[in-house]
Amino acid sequence: MSELALFIVRMSLLAVLWIFIFSIISVIRADLFGQKVLTRVAEANAPQVVSSPIAPSAPGQPSVPLVSEPTGSNATKLVITEGDRTGHQIKLDRRELTIGRSDDSDLVVDDEYASTHHAKLVLINNDWLIQDLNSTNGTYLDGGRVGTPAVVKLNTSVRVGKTVFELRA
Amino acid sequence: MTNLFGTTAPNAANLPRIMRVVPRSRNLEGALLLLAVGLNAFQLAQIQLSTIEVLTPEFFLYWLPLSFLALVLHAILRLRASEADPLILPIAVVLNGLGLSMIYRLDLATIANGGSELFGFKQVIWTSLAMAAAAAIVIYVPSHLFLRRYVYLSMLIGAVLLLSPMLPVIGKTINGARLWLSIGGLTFQPGELAKIALTIFFAGYLVNRRESLAVVGRKILGIRIPRARELGPIVMIWAASLLVLILQRDLGTSLLYFGIFIVLIYVATGRSIYVIVGMGMFLTGALVASRLMDYVSGRIDSWLNPFSQQNYDAVGGSYQLAQGIFGMAHGGIQGTGLGGGIPQLVPLAESDFIFASLAEELGLVGVFAILTLYLLLVARGIRIGFSHPDDFSKLLATGLAFSIALQCFIVIGGVTRVVPLTGLTTPLLAAGGSSLIANWIIIGLLLRISDSARLGSSTGENSRGGAA
Repeated sequence: MSELALFIVRMSLLAVLWIFIFSIISVIRADLFGQKVLTRVAEANAPQVVSSPIAPSAPGQPSVPLVSEPTGSNATKLVITEGDRTGHQIKLDRRELTIGRSDDSDLVVDDEYASTHHAKLVLINNDWLIQDLNSTNGTYLDGGRVGTPAVVKLNTSVRVGKTVFELRA
Repeated sequence: MTNLFGTTAPNAANLPRIMRVVPRSRNLEGALLLLAVGLNAFQLAQIQLSTIEVLTPEFFLYWLPLSFLALVLHAILRLRASEADPLILPIAVVLNGLGLSMIYRLDLATIANGGSELFGFKQVIWTSLAMAAAAAIVIYVPSHLFLRRYVYLSMLIGAVLLLSPMLPVIGKTINGARLWLSIGGLTFQPGELAKIALTIFFAGYLVNRRESLAVVGRKILGIRIPRARELGPIVMIWAASLLVLILQRDLGTSLLYFGIFIVLIYVATGRSIYVIVGMGMFLTGALVASRLMDYVSGRIDSWLNPFSQQNYDAVGGSYQLAQGIFGMAHGGIQGTGLGGGIPQLVPLAESDFIFASLAEELGLVGVFAILTLYLLLVARGIRIGFSHPDDFSKLLATGLAFSIALQCFIVIGGVTRVVPLTGLTTPLLAAGGSSLIANWIIIGLLLRISDSARLGSSTGENSRGGAA
């Protein structure tokens, strides 16, 4: 083959190799971007199943400001900010989510300070409520021990044993 | 309430989102695979045209098995592991194809020079067997969690495989390192498979021991010296890896096993002190060994002064390393093109030095492409580990992915004179059956783990969304 043809073949091989790499990178990028789209779709769908537009404040939590938006329609995921699984996320839908050491919990907290069935998150009237299931070491919402079920606002820390998580939009 | 493993509940089926997501990742994989096998055809055609100047049917001998099996694996994934990571298989196929093309190209050079020691066809056979092994794992291993039952058995298998080259009759010493088994003319490097068995053992062991290793002072800035007895397991593995270094005379193998263990301890406990202590221990051990053993000190001297006439001329000296560097320099930025260089001048150009051969013919641009492919492969593996909710899977996926990364570092670092040269193989590229089989088994396991990782990481999306 002529010198020029060899040169073109040589360059095009390298080009195809990099095209392959960039298609892989674009898939990774689309993965991230695609998830965002899904989240937005979920958010857009959410109001249709909202049972009540009113956000009542839970007993024992008089400080819930009325201007704050209900967490139910905003919170899309639970993010672990401290503990063994820091960074791990769980997508929230509208069903309750159980927390504890037992394997059938939705959020398995694997440390000796957590009880088998420690607490659960329940969506009531479009607000996420944390309910302590009579655990030994207690559940802490924003530093205070949870007695009666309390409303969990966005970006507020909830501690179960050594694990701390937040609800995020 | 469904738990993490009950995610195949029937209600997932009426969720349109899932119905769309599953085929999409598999379709992407299919498209990328077509690109990958096309790339391989391009390489083989370029090699034939630039060396023998005509396309021969031999092209299909090298092209079809890899391409066909890649598509078979793709079909198996569609049926058996539809949630598996879509990028791992195409990357592995491209790397394997690049290696295969380069080995074929070196064979053509050998034939032109009247030589008879060919590796290409053997590599095709081994590739087929290795991909069949990966397929078998995807089909017959229902869940990688089943491996957790055999943690101590895998330790035993790993230790036996690792020590088997020391056996009197079947053990074999090649190029100074005692790493091979030779049975009836077939040589096999059992250490490659030991890598997988030991990673399974380390992962299983550390899941059980994580608490005791991590419990002291984890929250106090992380820089608290672990108590002596917590260093016990590290000392054991360190001693074992030094034993490998002394008995088998291979620095790379012992670094690989010790490195995997240290990284898994770090992942399990989140304490960087283990990495620092571990690296210190290995460096100390290697330094002492280099004083006591001629073999190690010779390798280190060749590494520091490869161009001194004395090392260059010595038997087992730096000739190979220096030739590899000359070859890479000859390739320059854009390379000589496949078939255009003279990589066959380097001893073991098809196995230990395949990276130098590829660097000569694909140039710096191609080298970066290869390194990026490895980076993406390893990153996907670690991501699979990260997205998995249970600790054994986390450690296993991270350990397997990291073993590829560390092996690349040791081999490519050795060829490019970043670290002393050792006798490991470049994953998926180099000629050699044991290495190919081991690495395709890793690919199979990562695919299997990723299938359940996807379900686990998006529990809310998959298992519970249906009834919302």
